[in-house]
Amino acid sequence: MLFRKMWRDLAKNKTQFISIFLMSLLGMLVFCGLDAESSGAATAVNNYYEKYNLCDIWIAGAGFTDDDIRTAKKVTGVQNVEKRLSLTGTAEKYDNAYMYINFMDTNEINSLMLYDGEPYEDEAEGVWLEEWFARTNNIHIGDTFTVKIDSLRIDAVVKGIVDAPDYVYYVSESDVMYPNYTKCGLAFMSASMYPDPANMIYNQLLVDVRDEISDDESISIIKDKLENAFDREDIAVTDRNQNLSFATFDSEVKQHKAMGIMFAVVFLAIALLGIVTTMARVTTSQRTQIGTLKALGFSKATITVHYVSYGFVISTLGCIAGTWLGLLTLPPWILGMFEGSYLVPDLKGRLTVLDVTATILAIAVSTLVSFLSCRKELKDPPAVTLRPPAAKKIRHSALEKSKLWLRLDFSTQWNLRDVLRNKMRSLMGILGVMGCSMLLICGFGCFDSINGMLDKMYGELMTASNKILLSSDAGSGYAYDLNSLYKGQLVMETSVEFVSSTAKKSGSATIIDRGNYVHIQDKNLKPVKLKKNGIAMTNKMANLLGVGEGDYIRWHLVGDDKWQNTRIAQIYRDPSIQGITMSRSVFEDMEYTFRPTSILTNMSVDKSLVDDDEVSSVLNVADMKTSFAETLEMMNAMVYILVVAAVLLGVVVLYNLGVLSFVEKTREVATLKVLGFKSSSIRNILQKQNIWLTVIGIVIGLYAGWGMLYVICTTVSETLDMFPIIKLPTYLYAIGGTFLVSVSVNFMFSGKVKTIDMVDALKGVE
Amino acid sequence: MFGKKKTDDTGLEIIDLNEDNALSNDNGPKVLIEFKDVCKKYSQGEHDFYALKDANLTINEGEMVVILGPSGAGKSTLLNLLGGMDSASSGQIMFDGDDLTTYSDNQLTKYRAQNVGVVFQFYNLIPTLTAYENVALMKDIKDDTADPIEALASVGLADHAHQFPSQMSGGEQQRTSIARALAKNPRLLLCDEPTGALDTDTGKEVLKLLQDMSREKKRTVVMVTHNSFFADIADTVIRVKNGGIQSVVHNDNPKDASEVSW
Repeated sequence: MLFRKMWRDLAKNKTQFISIFLMSLLGMLVFCGLDAESSGAATAVNNYYEKYNLCDIWIAGAGFTDDDIRTAKKVTGVQNVEKRLSLTGTAEKYDNAYMYINFMDTNEINSLMLYDGEPYEDEAEGVWLEEWFARTNNIHIGDTFTVKIDSLRIDAVVKGIVDAPDYVYYVSESDVMYPNYTKCGLAFMSASMYPDPANMIYNQLLVDVRDEISDDESISIIKDKLENAFDREDIAVTDRNQNLSFATFDSEVKQHKAMGIMFAVVFLAIALLGIVTTMARVTTSQRTQIGTLKALGFSKATITVHYVSYGFVISTLGCIAGTWLGLLTLPPWILGMFEGSYLVPDLKGRLTVLDVTATILAIAVSTLVSFLSCRKELKDPPAVTLRPPAAKKIRHSALEKSKLWLRLDFSTQWNLRDVLRNKMRSLMGILGVMGCSMLLICGFGCFDSINGMLDKMYGELMTASNKILLSSDAGSGYAYDLNSLYKGQLVMETSVEFVSSTAKKSGSATIIDRGNYVHIQDKNLKPVKLKKNGIAMTNKMANLLGVGEGDYIRWHLVGDDKWQNTRIAQIYRDPSIQGITMSRSVFEDMEYTFRPTSILTNMSVDKSLVDDDEVSSVLNVADMKTSFAETLEMMNAMVYILVVAAVLLGVVVLYNLGVLSFVEKTREVATLKVLGFKSSSIRNILQKQNIWLTVIGIVIGLYAGWGMLYVICTTVSETLDMFPIIKLPTYLYAIGGTFLVSVSVNFMFSGKVKTIDMVDALKGVE
Repeated sequence: MFGKKKTDDTGLEIIDLNEDNALSNDNGPKVLIEFKDVCKKYSQGEHDFYALKDANLTINEGEMVVILGPSGAGKSTLLNLLGGMDSASSGQIMFDGDDLTTYSDNQLTKYRAQNVGVVFQFYNLIPTLTAYENVALMKDIKDDTADPIEALASVGLADHAHQFPSQMSGGEQQRTSIARALAKNPRLLLCDEPTGALDTDTGKEVLKLLQDMSREKKRTVVMVTHNSFFADIADTVIRVKNGGIQSVVHNDNPKDASEVSW
């Protein structure tokens, strides 16, 4: 019978219980959804890496031979080593798509996963193409595929459509983050296909360590051993964490997990607050019933279990429904969007032990909270509980004793008292509003930050409208001629390796010639001039290496064994490329040859220029910006979740709160009515309090939202240094949106003032 | 502890409690309850306030007892102590040979569940349960409860079994509350101003019902009221004033409930 009573009580207080239900549902939905999604993605990618044997260590250098393979194999812990030649080129027939081309001997490490055609064999004829690239460009088995590597031209029959575990994520240019597979692809060929065997210089060693070794520490020991074994200064030994494909996917997964936790904490905190206030209200209003049950002979334990079961049943329903729905909806949706960005087979959500634990924990905490909030009514003997509660001891707060108090008008005094005496309820209101504005700020702030980053990259740091990429065939003469023709600026971009006392990192070096298209900004994003007396390092790289302005850093160009120890003259910030920048003269003072890799210009560039062997491609900055913005699907999805969550959160919390305070204030409102207050002025009194709480909530929410955005921006990845940017419209949306939600929900309740029957409300308290 | 053969202080054997007419022995009326110097004191700051002071009384099994007194006299305190709903500050409260003042919370709960039925002034039905469910609720705390429909029928409410309290009149609610109390087959039926919220005619019906419980079913009924007209229908009238027992009067020829008027 008590069970029936519970269901009927739940139905009677349905608004509040539904809101608790929704909050626990949303909390678990987002948490378990994102966790199942990220765990599913992690599991899928790990299975993929394992099955297709992703290499553990890459050694980059020049001219690797079979002797080098033998040297590497001798290192303890090394299982297998392969060499390959990894180059970039273009596919003329497909709008000069950017191609990564790998010439391989054997293919036991980073094995190709076959979708269609024949499997790769050593010394086989033909080419194997990446699946998305082939599909979006409509290339089929048996077609002849032509690829141009500088002056070399290779025609090959397409033998298979594949994916490779070391290219889960790949993009054409270092300054475009999101893949566009029509314009960028992967091609795999056997070394025997290389047209100039005499000059074939293998530039990569792929190292596979023994299966039982997986922790970072053992890997780094093997890395050190490999470096010692080779005793060459011109090689760079890197592991998976420094591999773009691996690291990008890894950080994406971690980010989703972190987002899931953040959301869940917000929602579950609100759900718990809801349980506290609702259960306290239910037990207070059922004081006589509790006394009756006690008098009838129900034991304290039975009554406790009865009231705790409210919170338990609701949170159990909410949490389980949330977990189930989360598993059902989020992973397919988000992983569906992964398809365009990441090439991982068998992506699906997976329920983890963590999800189950979190669900149980959420239910347990909710139950505990409802126990704590109803305990108060249960401790007295029935005779006491049957009597109306002793009047709440009302003390005057310090504020009420001050002189200022007397100057306040009645509605302010009334509201201030009400807020101070219902701290929990007020806190819940503030938190709800805060959450709402925080999520809105963060959501729209993501857009602002991305756009701000693009504007910065292509408007402030690089002001040219076109970028001509030169191939390695381009001699200095050609580059200088072209540069003067287009009135451009010559830039050399290359890879470097840094060593500090604490870390070792790979990055890029940008060497700029005279011109006015490349700019740098200091830590505070103020434009500064590149200093002539040393190198400038990006803030993020400096932090990763643990160095600062004025410190010396050891570095060398990848493929060159000459080490430098250079003073860092300047720290600057760059959103997308981490490394160093210096002027041509500084570079040449170190006795390096300046070999331009691109020309920046503001003049329009003839497309036919690409036909020159010396030019590998021409990039239009406006196009890059647009295509970049278009591919931000994932970010958009996150923003939608944030905005929907924000509005739901606001509505649910404020509605619940409205019901609570309305019920509690019915008698007071009726008294005011009897005293002759007009409904409209009572409404204003009630709305006043709501506006205070909303304003406080919004102010805290703005700060919290900025903090959340900051966390998202700074943890986004190792190569990106995003600046959290919140523009004025975002503030307006967030503040306006939150106000709208808050005021309209409250308006609904204050409208009920009219319906309160004074006579009815004031009688009938036993 | 309850329902078993026991020997009380006087060495008399008490017959099994769960038998319906526990009283039917030939040795005259049996003492069910005895108060020995019972005090109930509330501490209010420095000075103590006695709601009940040195109360002594005995109640026989099967009697209809009316406790009379003005408000604040201590009659509710007396009822609460009788029903194990509150604990005494000092003295002994013997129920069937056991001292309630030595009971733990759990034992008191069990005592209430097994032995006591309560009828409140404001009925105190669970508003979200129907009449039937309110009565059936007793099954949760006691094994040998009466069938809820029969209990409701005995108070003339068989037709109202599936109505919620809010759908019933005050008299119907009070009768439901009596049915709830009776469903437990309690040895002691406690009524706190059972007619207080009812009009005269309905009040009489309720009173009649309670008297029948005592006369026909031989249950001990203790009723608290400030209405002195009710003294006429009681076997024993206990008058309370200022926290003390003023008088205990036995009525040899109690009136029928239908005869009283107020």
